Amino acid sequence: MKTLLCIREREYGWAQEAFPAIHPLLLPLCNKPFVEFLIDFAILTGSTAIRLLCDGPLAEVERYCEDGRRWGIDLSFGSLQPDDSVPVLLGKNRRFCGDERIMVVSGFNFIRYDKRQEYARLIDGAPDGPFASCGDGGIILAGAPGTGTAAPDEAGISLIPLDSTASYYEASMETLESGAERYVLPGYGGEPGCAIGRNVVISKSVEIRKPVSIGDNVQLLGGTIIGPSAIIGSDVIIDKESSVSSSIVLDHTYLGENLEVSGRIASGNLLIEPQSGASIAMEDPHLLSGIRQDPVLAAFPRLLIHALVALLMIGLLLPPFLLLWPLLSLSGKWKPCPAEIIDGKGNGTIRLKTVSLPHHGALGTLAAALSLDRFLMLFRVLGGQLALIGSTPVSAEERGDSNATAMTAYRPGVFSYAEAEEWPGCGKSEDASIVERFHLAHSNPVTDIALFFKAYINRIQEKITA
Amino acid sequence: MKKVITLTLPGELIFTRLAAQTAASVAALVCGECHPKDNNCEFINAFELAVSEAFTNSALHACQDELPPVTLTFIAERHQLTVTVRDTNEPFGIETPQPDIESYPEGGYGLLIIRKVMDTVTYRRDGDANIISMSKKL
Amino acid sequence: MIITETTQNGISVVTLNGTLDALSCPEFRANPAVGDPGQTVVLDLEKVDFIDSSGLGSIVGAARKKRQQECDLFLACMNDKVRKVFEITNAQKLFHIFDDTGAAVEFAAMQQEACK
Repeated sequence: MKTLLCIREREYGWAQEAFPAIHPLLLPLCNKPFVEFLIDFAILTGSTAIRLLCDGPLAEVERYCEDGRRWGIDLSFGSLQPDDSVPVLLGKNRRFCGDERIMVVSGFNFIRYDKRQEYARLIDGAPDGPFASCGDGGIILAGAPGTGTAAPDEAGISLIPLDSTASYYEASMETLESGAERYVLPGYGGEPGCAIGRNVVISKSVEIRKPVSIGDNVQLLGGTIIGPSAIIGSDVIIDKESSVSSSIVLDHTYLGENLEVSGRIASGNLLIEPQSGASIAMEDPHLLSGIRQDPVLAAFPRLLIHALVALLMIGLLLPPFLLLWPLLSLSGKWKPCPAEIIDGKGNGTIRLKTVSLPHHGALGTLAAALSLDRFLMLFRVLGGQLALIGSTPVSAEERGDSNATAMTAYRPGVFSYAEAEEWPGCGKSEDASIVERFHLAHSNPVTDIALFFKAYINRIQEKITA
Repeated sequence: MKKVITLTLPGELIFTRLAAQTAASVAALVCGECHPKDNNCEFINAFELAVSEAFTNSALHACQDELPPVTLTFIAERHQLTVTVRDTNEPFGIETPQPDIESYPEGGYGLLIIRKVMDTVTYRRDGDANIISMSKKL
Repeated sequence: MIITETTQNGISVVTLNGTLDALSCPEFRANPAVGDPGQTVVLDLEKVDFIDSSGLGSIVGAARKKRQQECDLFLACMNDKVRKVFEITNAQKLFHIFDDTGAAVEFAAMQQEACK
C-alpha cells in the first residue's frame, strides 16, 4: 500500500493570503502541521511510502518533513499540473506506484479519522474507486484490488474542506475537542484535554481552563486566563491580565497586556475574525497597552538617558578606536559599507555607515569584541535617530520581503534586545522580534541601560569565543 | 576557528565545474556530516549551485581576449560558510527582477537561484573589481 | 555530458548523463531532437548529476519552441537534486514531470494522437 497526496495551489490560495508567513501545508491544526495529519492517516492505512504532489513550491514542507524517516516511512515529493486527473497522476508516478495498491488523497481537506480504528484492514477490504469524497477531492483507491469486502462507510471517515479561515478555525477547534483520543497530538499532559509543550513558563496566577493545547517556548504572564478552547502556538508570549478563549494564537505571536481574545485567530500582529476572514492589525495602543503616556513626553527621558550612556561609551571607546581604526584601515580590514535602514517612524530611512570587520587576527578580534564596528553609530544616538538599545535595524532593502512596515513596535537601535537576551535562534527574525516587541513594551530607561550592558558583554563573549 | 581558502581560476567556462565542485567539497568539510557526493545535503548543493551561477556569470562577462582571473574565497566559520567571487569585469547590478516563468524565459534565473539558496547575498564594487559575497548558516 | 537518443512508440527519448551547465548546454541545444521544434521529446534526467540556471534555461527554451509548433517536451526521472532547481525557479509549473520514462512516452504519444 502506498499513498499519493495531491494538493493544488488553487485549493490553498486563501491560506497563503490569510497566513502569509507559513506554508499552507504546515499550517498547524491544534499545534500540529496539517501535512502531519495526512501522513498519520496514510500510516494508519498501512502505507509504507508516501509521495506528496503539489503544483506550488514544496521546499519548506520538504525541509520540515525531510525523507519521512521520523515516521518510519519513505516520503518523497513531486509536482503535478493543476488539472491532472487520477489516471494521469498514477502515470506520472508509475515507478513510485509499482504494482501496489494506491490510495490517492486529493484536496486541501482535513480528514476526520480515529486512530483506534483498523484502517489498514478496512482500506484493504474496500473496492477500487472513490472511498470518500469532498468537493473536487477525496480519497480514491486504485491499483491492485483489495481482498476483503468492507464497505467504505464502515470506516467512519469524513472530510472537512479547508477553504476559508472559518473552516480552518472549526477544524482546529474540533480537533482540540476530540483531542488525543482520536488524533496523535503533540505536547504532554497529565490529564485529557490539556497538552503542553516544552519550555513553557506559566506564572503562578495563570488560570488554565480545559481544553487547551500549548506549544513550545511559551510564556504566560501573571493573571492570564487560557481557555476554554485555546490553542496557543510555539514561541508565544501572552502578557499580563490577558485572556484567550475559543481562539487560536499562531506561532511567533506576542499578545499585549489586558487583552481579551475570544473567537479569534491571532497571527503575528493580526487578529482575524474567522467567519468573515476580516482582520485588524493590532496597533500600538492595543498591543502595547502598557504605554499610556503621551509618546513624545514618555520618549524624552529615554532619549536623554540613551544619549548620556552613548556619550559615556564614546568617551570610553574613543582611545581604542583611535588606536585600532588606523591600524585596521591600513591593513584593509576596516571595510565601511553604507547601509540604509528604516527609521523608527516606519516611513523614512536612515543612512548609516556600517563597517564589516573580519574578526580574525588579534586586532580584528579585539575591535570586534569592543564592538568598535558600531562606534560611529553611537553618534546617531546623540541625535536621537537611533536608540542605544532597541530593535535590530531592518535594512530598507528588506522592506519588501519582510513585514517590517507592518511591524507595530520597532525602534532601531545600535544594539538589539535580542542580543541582550541571546534569544534562541537570534538569527531568525521572527523569533527575535517577539523578544524585541516584549522589551519595547516593557522597558524603561533604567532597564534599557542594564540590557545594553548585557548586550555589550554578550558580544564580547561571542566575538572572543567565535 | 575561522579558516580561509582561496582559489584563483582563469575566467573561462571550462573551469565552472571545478569552481562548483570545489565549493561543494568545502561545504562538505564545513558541514561535517555529509559526504561531498551526498546528493541530498541542502548545504552542499546550495554552495555548488551558487558558485556555479556566480562563476558562470563572471566567465560569460569576461573580456574575450584576456580572460582575467576569477578568485573564490571561502571563509569557514563555526556556524557559517561565506564565499566571495571576485572578478575584474564591467560592473553589474544584482537587482534583477524575478523572471516571469509563464513567458518561458531562457535566462535570468541565476541570481534568483543564488538568492533562494543562500541566506545573505551582497554585491559591491571594489576599485575595478566586482565582489559577490554569499553566505549560508549551517 | 553524454547525450543518447532512442525512439519509443514514435517518440524520441533523449537521455542526458552528466552535468548540464553553461559549458554543456550548447551541446544539448545542438541535439537534433531537442533542437527541432516540430518533434515531441521525452527528456530523461535521471543521470544528470548537476544542473544550473543555464541548463534550466536551455530546457525551458527548447520547450517553448516546441510548444509554438504544437509539440511538447516532457521530463522524466528527475532526481531530487535536479527537481529542487526546478522548484526554486518555479519552472516545474511549465512541465509534465514523470518518474518513469515509459509512462512519459505513453502520455506523449497520447497527446500527439489527440493533436492530430
